[in-house]
Amino acid sequence: MATDKTNFQLVANGILKENPIFKLALSMCPAVGISTTVINGLMLGTAVLFVQVFSSVTISLLKNFIHPRIRIPTYTLTIATWVTVIDLSLAAYFPAAYAKMGIFVKIIVAFAIITMRLEMFACKEKVSSSFWDGLGMGLGFLVGMVAIGFVRELLGSGAILGYDVLGFKPLLFFILPSAGFFVVGLMMGFFNWIEASYSARKKR
Amino acid sequence: MKMIITIIIRLTLSCLVAGTIMGMTFVFTNKAKKANEFAREERVVYSLLGFSADNPIPASMGLYEVFRYLVIEAGQQSIGYLVPVGGHGEGGGFSFVRISLDGAFVDKTDVDISHEKVRERGDRDAAVQAAMGPDRQARFVDQTVIVTDEGKRTAYLLSGKFPGFKTNIAVMMALDPAYSMIGLEIMEHEEDPGLGAEIEQDYFKNQFKYKPFDKLKTIDVVKEPMPADYVKALEGGIDETAAVDIMKQYKDKDIYALTGATISSKSVSSGVKGMVKKFAYRLDILDQVLEQQHIGVPF
Repeated sequence: MATDKTNFQLVANGILKENPIFKLALSMCPAVGISTTVINGLMLGTAVLFVQVFSSVTISLLKNFIHPRIRIPTYTLTIATWVTVIDLSLAAYFPAAYAKMGIFVKIIVAFAIITMRLEMFACKEKVSSSFWDGLGMGLGFLVGMVAIGFVRELLGSGAILGYDVLGFKPLLFFILPSAGFFVVGLMMGFFNWIEASYSARKKR
Repeated sequence: MKMIITIIIRLTLSCLVAGTIMGMTFVFTNKAKKANEFAREERVVYSLLGFSADNPIPASMGLYEVFRYLVIEAGQQSIGYLVPVGGHGEGGGFSFVRISLDGAFVDKTDVDISHEKVRERGDRDAAVQAAMGPDRQARFVDQTVIVTDEGKRTAYLLSGKFPGFKTNIAVMMALDPAYSMIGLEIMEHEEDPGLGAEIEQDYFKNQFKYKPFDKLKTIDVVKEPMPADYVKALEGGIDETAAVDIMKQYKDKDIYALTGATISSKSVSSGVKGMVKKFAYRLDILDQVLEQQHIGVPF
């Protein structure tokens, strides 16, 4: 049962229609905990993008060899392998970035979004579709993290990408972990409102 | 039963494949990682001594590594020091000086190893073991760097580990010849982010700067708010000479504990205290022995 969507639709689906953070509400812990700055969001998002694409392709390639009773352990093993590979490569070639987020890269193993995409999509579809779906989901997560990071960094520390743009700190509250929930909730509502008004206009 | 066996076989195979991939990545990346660590260590050494890439260490200065080993011989323990011999810049060989636990000289053996190879732990351990013979067992403990300028000692660099709140904290510090602190750097730790992890921040670790040996011997933490001028001086927000003046005013004070991380603060201060005390004790014994036995060392 191959998907009837084109590659572009698969990517767009991950970014907009089924955005992991704003629509599926999966992997909220990193969205709340780490997205205090744009850079943090960007780095974790990129790591997740790679892990998602590699794992989707691997599972899609091996889908005929995976025993249905042990598919979840196999997914976890696959994800853990790719996370380790990316963790080691980051530590070796990007030591400065790794020093900041090494601890978060290891947590990617437990991200619900990756396991969920493997279960819902990669284990049934062609390798190429799985690649585009993984890319879309990874990009969706990346975009979500950067968007939340943008809001929180701007409101919490008055800066963007570490550059002071406002000159003052509007509300320190926004860089505390609990504020992550508020920002995610508000942005979720905002995006839903845009989508609702867009589809309402389309109908008319 | 058949299904259990297929599941076991498949899972084992998957694990083997995953293990192979991870192992290969490790082999490929390990070299770059080691190089990074070495570069970082070198940078820390430079910054602790007040040098940088633009301001390199002059040729009159020498950095001599002293490696400490524990030698076990038929249940008897002794301490062995692998020290360079000969004058500055002569590139003499290495000698292994053994000292008994009560501080008396035991023997001196020449070790055949080059100045490049001595930094590689595997090569060094093998050379020391070869010099000691099969009856004795030599185990590496730690290493210290003695910095000299024109033949006079200017600093000691010591690195070490001690238990923190969660796992071990690895530090590197520079002491002057009177064992006062020149600087402290936290190399590795896994304390809680936002709480214990603050030990690597300037406003905590720079508190150790300029503390004299007499203070370091009894150093402890106090749970008091840190004075505002001291914080500014520690974070380097103000003029350097003024900052040094303020830090020197506080040199006989205990360490101000981090808010919410008293145990981490205490671990660092007592760890540093232990390292400095033991190092001073050992070095005095080593110096005495080297002088009594007329062993010429470049430091």
